[in-house]
Amino acid sequence: MNTIIRNWSRQSTPGFRFIYAKTHPSISPSARRCFSSEPPLIITKSEQQLIFDQAKQSQTSVSLQALMRTGRGEYLHKTFAEEEREKHAATQLVLIQVASFLRRELPIRLAHRIQDLEAVPILRDMESVIAVRDLYIKSFLEIMSFDNKIQTAEQEAAFALMLENIYERHSKVLVQMARGAYEFRKAVREEKGPGLELEEEIHHFLDRFYLCRIGIRVLIGQYLALRQPPVENYVGIICSKTSPYEIVKRAIDDSAFMCTRKYGDAPDVIISGSLNLTFPYAPTHLHYIMLELLKNSMRATVEWHGIDSDFPDIKVVIADGAENEDVVIKVSDEGGGIPRSNTKKIWSYLFTTADPSVQEGMVGTPQGIDHGRDAPLAGLGYGLPISRSYARYFGGDLSIMSMEGYGTDAFVYLARLGNTKEPLPI
Amino acid sequence: MSCCNGSRRCLSTNFLTQQDGHCDAIPSNIEHILQEYCEKQQTSSSIQMLMKTGRGEMLGKTYKSEAFMGRLGHQLATNRILIQFASFLSQEIPIRLAHRIRGLDQVPILRDMHAVQQVKAIYIRSFLEMIDFPPILNSNDEQQFAHMLGDLYTKHSGVLVQMAKGAYELREGIRSGDINVSKDVDDDFSLESLIDCHRCLDRFYMSRIGIRVLAGQYLAMRQEPQNNYIGMICQKTSPSAVVREAAVNVTKLCIERYGRAPEVQLIGRLDLTFPYIPTYLHYIVLELLKNALRATCEKFELSSSLPPVVVVIADGTDNEDVVIKITDEGGGIPRSQIEKIWSYLYTTAGSNLQKAVFSGKDHSDMSPMAGLGYGLPISRSYARYFGGDIDLMSMDGHGTDVFVYLKRLGDTKEPIPV
Repeated sequence: MNTIIRNWSRQSTPGFRFIYAKTHPSISPSARRCFSSEPPLIITKSEQQLIFDQAKQSQTSVSLQALMRTGRGEYLHKTFAEEEREKHAATQLVLIQVASFLRRELPIRLAHRIQDLEAVPILRDMESVIAVRDLYIKSFLEIMSFDNKIQTAEQEAAFALMLENIYERHSKVLVQMARGAYEFRKAVREEKGPGLELEEEIHHFLDRFYLCRIGIRVLIGQYLALRQPPVENYVGIICSKTSPYEIVKRAIDDSAFMCTRKYGDAPDVIISGSLNLTFPYAPTHLHYIMLELLKNSMRATVEWHGIDSDFPDIKVVIADGAENEDVVIKVSDEGGGIPRSNTKKIWSYLFTTADPSVQEGMVGTPQGIDHGRDAPLAGLGYGLPISRSYARYFGGDLSIMSMEGYGTDAFVYLARLGNTKEPLPI
Repeated sequence: MSCCNGSRRCLSTNFLTQQDGHCDAIPSNIEHILQEYCEKQQTSSSIQMLMKTGRGEMLGKTYKSEAFMGRLGHQLATNRILIQFASFLSQEIPIRLAHRIRGLDQVPILRDMHAVQQVKAIYIRSFLEMIDFPPILNSNDEQQFAHMLGDLYTKHSGVLVQMAKGAYELREGIRSGDINVSKDVDDDFSLESLIDCHRCLDRFYMSRIGIRVLAGQYLAMRQEPQNNYIGMICQKTSPSAVVREAAVNVTKLCIERYGRAPEVQLIGRLDLTFPYIPTYLHYIVLELLKNALRATCEKFELSSSLPPVVVVIADGTDNEDVVIKITDEGGGIPRSQIEKIWSYLYTTAGSNLQKAVFSGKDHSDMSPMAGLGYGLPISRSYARYFGGDIDLMSMDGHGTDVFVYLKRLGDTKEPIPV
């Protein structure tokens, strides 16, 4: 009844690899009738055991500083003896060191996620969520089937290729999970909406899930970036001279473009404060956060004041003292604000101000665009909670304070020293 | 165990003559009555309710508001409203006092501080005095009750400072090693990790606000009516007027201390009015402006100009909240310190300053609480009391934004701690 699937990871054609089983415990009747691109996955008992064993191990949190130091080769002595270090180029050793760490660490993290995906009530039976789970299992098994020890440049190169594929394959997970949340809301609405407890549990699950996903993608992204020709000031995806001012400027351009495309015009943004400040951070993360906040501010300002009026400026302040723990960026708008009772909802993955038809459209597209200029202005409603996860990932935070009838202030806290470890949930 | 009035009177007078301002354990004969009252539920009120009561709307009979609003001279409210209110208070206040006494009894370490013992003694005395009071059946009884309550209200006005003194004694005790705390105390400011103490103080103050609002409201209603007022509640409280007044006071203080003061700019809904208790709003705004102006002056000590402190008042038509935001560029606070500023057990004031301060009353324009670290947590309790809140966001190296949320319709019930 349970068919064993061998070496499927080496095949590249989808749709032929898996055999549907009538009695798989986690497939709901509706899933059986679905016409998703791939039929549901079956795993063997031994594979289940593998996942179980890996999930029992603890995840290892890494700090931004550790990522940088590793990338610069400052920890090579921890893995390699002196003679080895003299024989090979530092960069190659670094890559081997990082690859070895990932070979050990990634399966643990994936296993934790798989278990979580299988445990969350109701959501786990949604078609899209099952697809995500299957994707994670597939990647997990692929990595586990790779050599246990990575010691040569050839092995490391093959490992990198595998991770590149996995990274690519997983890029649509954000939208897929959003689809899953959407399916959940539909399913539960038919039964008069989710109870408060259930909603909270789902929210915490999604929060954990996305935070971990960021972690996995940072680790892989960092490793793959290290294999590229070095860029000045960069160690992987981390730029030691990240300039909040430059990033904010770019985010303003992007958000103004999107706003103008939708409404015909966009408010001005004034930046003040420590314009010369630089510190080590992952620029893509900061850009995502700032784009999200500016998008919201611009949309609120235009909708509150009306398209034909003189919009009040949006103000951005960049703060930093000499010895400070944090770099803080504040985005203030006069876009009418949100009532205090709604403030909790803006952090929810299950609440969105987006038009339902937009939602349908977004979740319908298989490509599903995570972020970037082509995404709609109010997409899946995920921007804020995800932004907060990005901020928290390296020890920072994101807070939104609103004044109903006036406007909203968003505060982005970024840990300056980069020595906070990833906040990995269990 | 219930006693007849006679034997209760006996108890209280015994207690009153015995105690010399110190109260270790509660005498067992009082313990029973205390327990009896502790088991009763507290009844929470809301601004709406207070106003309705004040207007006589709860009397179940028709009552014309114009009559209330000034035509009757000193007879401001019908006797029946006052009797009704007084009866309610004579039942409710002892219950609340009992709960607080129990609370003070149970908080570890803090309860052993001398100042806290004194407060407990005051509370027990007041409790006994109140339960001693005969039922209120007519205007004469009501007048006597008002007299007693007025005395109590005055007697208790120093409690805020007394409790602050208790916290001070606690801090000194730990610093000197006299008190052993189970947690690691490796720096001056790990004291705020004494969560139990903080929670007790929070509940205590919140409850105290409640008792004083009820008592204050009742006493105010017996006074000459003012336009738009029902007791202490002003139906047309104007945030901008309150801010302007507070700004004048704080600016004066600031100039006295620093030789100059930043400008306070007021923008937004200057015309807005809503029902609230102005004295509390004034306290909150005063406190926040003090912090803002002080921070600005200290950060820009050496420069010739001072950035302004900006106050924004927000409200839409149907909004739940009136929001007041106070923004300064006074250098801000590091994120890791933010939790501490809400603690009753944390202060940046030196020992000597603290010692010198323990003599004044609750509040005045020259609030003796300056520097004792109470301003923020107490302000927040005031805001929360009627369903609002205060939130503080700071930008280290730049400045601080404080958001005061005030419930507009005033139908939130008092948050009465258990």
